[in-house]
Amino acid sequence: MSRDASRAKSGDQMQNPLIKHSIAIVRICLGAVFLYAGMLKIVDTTAFAGSIAAYRLFPYFFNYLVAAVLPWLEVICGVVLVTGWRTRPAAFMILLLNLFFTAALLSALIRGLEIDCGCFKPGAADPPLMAIGRDLVFMAMAGLVIWQDWRRSAA
Amino acid sequence: MTTRQSMMRLAIEMAIMVALAAVIGVSWNYRLLVNAWTGKGAEAPKAAAGISAPIPLPLGLMQVKELYDRKEATFIDSRDRVAYGSGHIKGAISLPLMDTATAIPEFGNRVPKNATLVVYCSGYACEDSIEVGRQLLAIGYTTVYYFDGGFPAWRDAGYPIARRP
Repeated sequence: MSRDASRAKSGDQMQNPLIKHSIAIVRICLGAVFLYAGMLKIVDTTAFAGSIAAYRLFPYFFNYLVAAVLPWLEVICGVVLVTGWRTRPAAFMILLLNLFFTAALLSALIRGLEIDCGCFKPGAADPPLMAIGRDLVFMAMAGLVIWQDWRRSAA
Repeated sequence: MTTRQSMMRLAIEMAIMVALAAVIGVSWNYRLLVNAWTGKGAEAPKAAAGISAPIPLPLGLMQVKELYDRKEATFIDSRDRVAYGSGHIKGAISLPLMDTATAIPEFGNRVPKNATLVVYCSGYACEDSIEVGRQLLAIGYTTVYYFDGGFPAWRDAGYPIARRP
């Protein structure tokens, strides 16, 4: 074993294996959640378009375009996170998406719209505050995955 | 890799993911998107006509369910008979847009004019319920709502449905 390799190895070992594996579990869970959320929406694009339309953020056609593309983006991010291949862009994407979801939910809350969030199953009446809380947890999870990825590439 | 390079790489990888999602998503839903796109063209003149004629008021799922539970409203399914047959809100009357010429006067004879009506079709992509609602307003009904989530939202919420009349 060359000196460089052994140094890199010891750098990797500096992190407690418990933490390392916990973060891997977080990454896989986050990926699975997005995979699941995306697939539920792909099954019924029209219903998801309805959920988006209820936010009254986009013009008519745009609701359908977002409903067609967003679930696939979620599925791609989910697959990438679960497999662990190219973790960083997927985790950033999920961070970005959740920022956007949170903003949309907040705006619906402020405007007093009584809508279902369209997060998972269409027609599920999740209270918006719970959905926002859930998005914040997802963002924290994505942040953890990004931090780990950055740490490892810096080591 | 420098920070700048890795940032660039991150941006490119994210862009590829979005592009891939766009390609799959658009081709997967090609027909729906085309319908939505062409439907937009047809929507504009209807909306303009609505300024003079009275139009039905939209109701959300929760309000519609409340009316349903209190049995205060007559539900009207404005989709075609096949769609009605394969599943409709339990107790709804079939009144397809294409049959309104004969069905609306008949309905008018059966149901008192002070009844509360809720018209629905197949959800947000569908304008039939608004059109049927407008025609009902035109023959003298005063309380006409349309349920903008339509049958899909009702079904997905797990509320009572029926097949065949």
